Amino acid sequence: MRRRPRRFGLKHSLLNKYLLIVLCAIVLLPFAFPLIGILLSVQNWRSDIASDSRYRDGAKLMQMWHGEAAKLGGAAPGEIDTALRRLQADYPKLGMFWVDGAGQTRLKLPVDLDVPDSWDPSYTVQFMKERTGGPIFTVVAFIGSGRNEGFMVMQLPRTEMDPVVVAAQRNYGTIYLLGILLMLGLFLAVSLVFFLRIRRRLVRLQCAMAWPTDGGVPRTVAADRDDEIGRLEQAFNEMIRKLEASRAREAAETELRQDLIAKLSHDLRTPLTTIRGHAYSLRQEELSDRGRESLDLIDRKIGYLGQLIDNLFSYSLLSSGRYPHRPQRLDIVRLARTHFAGWYPVFEQEGFEVDTELPDSAVYWEVDPERMERVLDNYLQNVLRHARDGRYVALRVSAEADGAIEIADRGPGMQGPTASRGAGMGLSIAALMLKDMQLRADVRSGPSGTTVRIVRRPGLPASVPQGD
Amino acid sequence: MKKRVLYIEDDPEIGQWVHDELERRGYAVEWLLSGEEAAERVGQADLVVLDVMLPGLDGYTVGQRLKKEAPGVPVLMLSARTSVDDKLQGLKFADDYLTKPFHPDELAARLEVLLRRYGRHEGRTIRLEHLEVSPELQTVVDGQTGEEILLTPKQLQILLYFVRNPNRILTKEQIYEAVWGDPYLEGDKSVMVHIRYLREKIERDPGNPTIIETIRGIGYRVKQ
Repeated sequence: MRRRPRRFGLKHSLLNKYLLIVLCAIVLLPFAFPLIGILLSVQNWRSDIASDSRYRDGAKLMQMWHGEAAKLGGAAPGEIDTALRRLQADYPKLGMFWVDGAGQTRLKLPVDLDVPDSWDPSYTVQFMKERTGGPIFTVVAFIGSGRNEGFMVMQLPRTEMDPVVVAAQRNYGTIYLLGILLMLGLFLAVSLVFFLRIRRRLVRLQCAMAWPTDGGVPRTVAADRDDEIGRLEQAFNEMIRKLEASRAREAAETELRQDLIAKLSHDLRTPLTTIRGHAYSLRQEELSDRGRESLDLIDRKIGYLGQLIDNLFSYSLLSSGRYPHRPQRLDIVRLARTHFAGWYPVFEQEGFEVDTELPDSAVYWEVDPERMERVLDNYLQNVLRHARDGRYVALRVSAEADGAIEIADRGPGMQGPTASRGAGMGLSIAALMLKDMQLRADVRSGPSGTTVRIVRRPGLPASVPQGD
Repeated sequence: MKKRVLYIEDDPEIGQWVHDELERRGYAVEWLLSGEEAAERVGQADLVVLDVMLPGLDGYTVGQRLKKEAPGVPVLMLSARTSVDDKLQGLKFADDYLTKPFHPDELAARLEVLLRRYGRHEGRTIRLEHLEVSPELQTVVDGQTGEEILLTPKQLQILLYFVRNPNRILTKEQIYEAVWGDPYLEGDKSVMVHIRYLREKIERDPGNPTIIETIRGIGYRVKQ
């Protein structure tokens, strides 16, 4: 039964959310300009209040200037300087200077004011013409009531006299630019937050996928939202559940198969034992040579069949990871020697030349003795079965590097005529067992013999240091 | 005096055959089809041969019960299963283990070794070429002269260890640990030295020993 995926409406879509953000940005953009304008005006207005509005009114300034000039009639130059300095202090935005009756410029406030040092009539006329209606509001007043005491001038850029609205109008460009920048910045910031949140959720999902639990299946994630990523998380969780279910099913099947093979193994061995018993009893009877040869063959084949059953069972355990593995620190020289001692009489009986090369010092490996013996058994069995012609077997253990165990024969090699059949499973079992123990078998095989060299896998820590 | 074997096996064909075969080899065999009465019988037996797959009580349970009842009687397990866990579980109490299809010669050899290891053959004198070794009396006699050969305790223990493990190649580590009772330390030469002195006493030609055979690179063996 398959559930149809729910129809995915746009109601909770991330697309919707983002479109909303874009829409907000577009809608808010026109509002930004007046907002900025108001902000600027408020600032201007506040600065206006903060300074004073005396500069705003040209008539008043003119009146004040003429009044001051009239009061200075007959005053000494020093007094005039003092008066100008006082006025400067009162009206700091004003530029001012005065020219004496001889046409010499006296005090300039501020001092870098752009005025010539002496005034002739033509320059004076030019000055007056330039300033009338020019960008600088200028008031020229004769000192005193006469015409020979000189004159004093105040000037003020007309911009200083502009009212608020005029100032705002002047700043339209800036307002426009700031408005766009503000909206753009705001939009980018909101977008960034939006995408960062998406990213965080995606990374969380990726982490969940990348770090599986002990069982090899990733953990489910919390899927609390209903948008695209939420759906993805739900789909992911669903997948995990299916995976777990399939794992459980697989384990159950393996269990069943294991059980079947165990039973089969038992059921096959029982009649085999009976057959062997009867073949043995038959031997006690009077038999021809051919009859005896047949019995020998039967007996050998029974032994072989028994091993095949054993291999089948071991292989099935190994491939499902259920073969017991109890690694411990072991002297492999001793292990190889003790185990080979059991095999020696068999090779001796078959007329093999037996060669051993074992070092006097111990070599320690971290291995499971049961498995190690089984591996040696499989290789030695192979020598006995397939390298009988060479009549030679050698067991060598080397202490060099990380140590190595070597089994050599002088048989026809693995490609030889008797090699292929039967050997496969035994060697596969040996390879699987070695792999679990971080070992590896290098096989060199040619027509003059086979050498199997068991070594530690490269890239692993060196052999366990010899303790006590 | 025949050795008595208590044999517990549910398969009638195998049971009949093993029963006949062991009788033929000079054992008195009592064959039971299930493990229920085994505990009462074990007292009279010198040796137990036990099948793992039994109806009712399984072989392991029966074996453990028998060991509790008579710890001095060796138990050999026969099994049609090969799981390695089976093997370990079986060997916790069993003295030896044989998987089907076993060969009758192999079974007989294992029984012989078990009887010796448990000292149930002690009364017998074992002949090694010109030597007569009596594990019960702890003596070694030169059969030709009739004189006793005096061995040091360690030499005697080594020889008796060989006698208890006939035809097996024993490594120096195994001999050391069996005779000295301590874990073998790397490079120890005691076993080699003791065997040299032992050979001087028991071999006709110590330079060319025939009783204690050296298996180069592996260990020593005494054939019987």
